[in-house]
Amino acid sequence: MTMDRRSVLGLGGVLAAGVILAPGLRLIAAPEDVTEASDKRRWGMLIDTTQCNPACTACTQACRTENNVPLTGDPERDIHWIRKVELHSKDGGKPDRSLPVLCNHCEHPPCVHVCPTQASFIRKDGIVLVDMHRCIGCRYCMIACPYKARSLVYSTPSIPGTPNRKVPMRAKGVVEKCTFCVHRIDDGGQPACVEACQKEAKGGMLFGDLNDPQSEISQRLRQVLSTTIRPDLGLKPRVHYQGI
Amino acid sequence: MSSRRSLAVRMSVGLLLAMLLVLVGGFPGNLGADPPQPEKPKGGQCVRPAEWMRHNHMDFLKHNRTVAVREGKRVRSESLQKCAECHTSRERFCDRCHDYVAVEPDCFDCHIYPK
Ligand code: HEC
Ligand code: HEC
Ligand code: HEC
Repeated sequence: MTMDRRSVLGLGGVLAAGVILAPGLRLIAAPEDVTEASDKRRWGMLIDTTQCNPACTACTQACRTENNVPLTGDPERDIHWIRKVELHSKDGGKPDRSLPVLCNHCEHPPCVHVCPTQASFIRKDGIVLVDMHRCIGCRYCMIACPYKARSLVYSTPSIPGTPNRKVPMRAKGVVEKCTFCVHRIDDGGQPACVEACQKEAKGGMLFGDLNDPQSEISQRLRQVLSTTIRPDLGLKPRVHYQGI
Repeated sequence: MSSRRSLAVRMSVGLLLAMLLVLVGGFPGNLGADPPQPEKPKGGQCVRPAEWMRHNHMDFLKHNRTVAVREGKRVRSESLQKCAECHTSRERFCDRCHDYVAVEPDCFDCHIYPK
C-alpha cells in the first residue's frame, strides 16, 4: 500500500492534534514549570441563582479556607471576597432568593481606573487583580467599586488553624478581593467556590473562558437568559447571573 | 588671623585622622562581630549560582514577583515557596543575614514561610 498525499496530510493532522492537546492535558494533571497568562482568554462566571439555596455557604466557606480570608467578627470590618446577598422584591416582601456576589472582573473596572499606584490592574486574561506589593491602602478602589467587592485589611489577620500555604496572607493596610483563584487557574484548575458548589451544593456556578465559543460557559450563555448586576453602568462585568 | 588659620588646620588634620581611624578600624561596635552564618541548605543546586544569589537575591525575588503577579508568568521552580524546600528556616537562613545588615523585608507579613 502506498500512502497518497491526503493520508499523509491526515496523519500529520493527527500528530499535530496530539501535540496541541498534550500540553493542555498535562496542565490539568500537574502544572508545567513555566506557564503564562494568555491574552486570548477571558475568564468569566455564570451563576444560576435558581440553584442557590439561601442557607448554603459552601462557596463562601471554601473561599475563606482557600484564600486565607479571616473572619474578624466585626461586621463593619469583615473581609469578604464572596458574600451571599438576599434579593427582596420591590414591594418589600420577604427575601425569596439568594445569590453570591464577588468581584465581577469588569471589562472596564472603575477600581483600576482610580488606583493611584497602579496596584489594581487588569491581567492579560481579563482578571482584575490587586498587586499587594504596590497597594498603599488608600481605598479609592473600594469607593469606586459599585459591587462592594473589596475590603480593607484593618488589622493584622489571624487565621484559625493552618493557613493554605499556597496563598500569601495579606498584611494590615492593603485592600483585597476575589482573584478568581488566580493561583488555581494558572495551575489549570477552577476557583474554589465553583468547585465547592459542584461538590457540596447543586453546582449552580460555572467558570470558563468567554472567548472560546466552544467552552461550556459560552454555550450556556447563548442558551439561557442571563444578565449581569447593574448592566446599565456599562462596566461589562464578567460574572453573569441566570434567574434574576 | 594666623592663629585662627592654624586652628582650622589642626582641626581638619584631626578630623582626617579620626576619619582614617574609622575607615581602617571600623566602628568599635563592629569590632569582633562574626560574619553571619546562614544555615546550610538542604538539597542540590540553588536556582542561580550561590555567589550571585548572595548579591542579587533581592532583585531576583522582586523581579520574579512582578513577572508572576502582573504578567501572569509563573516559574514554579523559582517561586518564593520553592526557596523553602532547601532553605528550610526563615530565622536560621534569611534572618541571620538580614539581622546582621539590619534590613527587614516585609515579605513574611504575607508570605507563609517556615519559621
Ligand atoms: C534546590 C535547593 C535550593 C533552592 C530551591 C534554592 N536554593 Fe538558595 N542555595 C542552595 C544552595 C545549595 C546554596 C549554596 C550554599 C552554600 O554555598 O553555602 C544556596 C545559596 C543561596 C544564597 C547564598 C547563601 C550564602 O550562604 O551566601 C542565597 C541568598 C539563596 N540561596 C537564596 C535563595 C532563594 C531566595 C531561593 C528561592 C528563589 C533559593 N535560594 C532557592 C540551594 C537552594
Ligand atoms: C548571605 C546573606 C543573606 C541571606 C542568606 C539572605 N539574604 Fe536577603 N539580603 C541580604 C542583604 C545583605 C540584603 C540587603 C541588601 C541591601 O542593603 O540592599 C538583603 C536584602 C533582601 C531583600 C530586600 C530588602 C529590602 O528592604 O528591599 C529581600 C526581599 C531579601 N533579602 C529576601 C531574602 C529571603 C526571602 C531570604 C531567605 C530565603 C534571604 N533574603 C536570605 C543578605 C541575605
Ligand atoms: C501585603 C502582602 C504581601 C507582601 C508584604 C509581600 N507579598 Fe509577595 N505576594 C503577595 C500576594 C497576594 C501574591 C500573589 C500570589 C499568587 O498570585 O499566587 C504575591 C506574590 C509574590 C511572588 C510571586 C509568587 C511566588 O510565590 O513566587 C513573589 C516572588 C513575591 N510575592 C515576593 C515577595 C517579596 C520578595 C516580598 C517582600 C519584599 C513580598 N512578596 C511581600 C502578597 C504580599
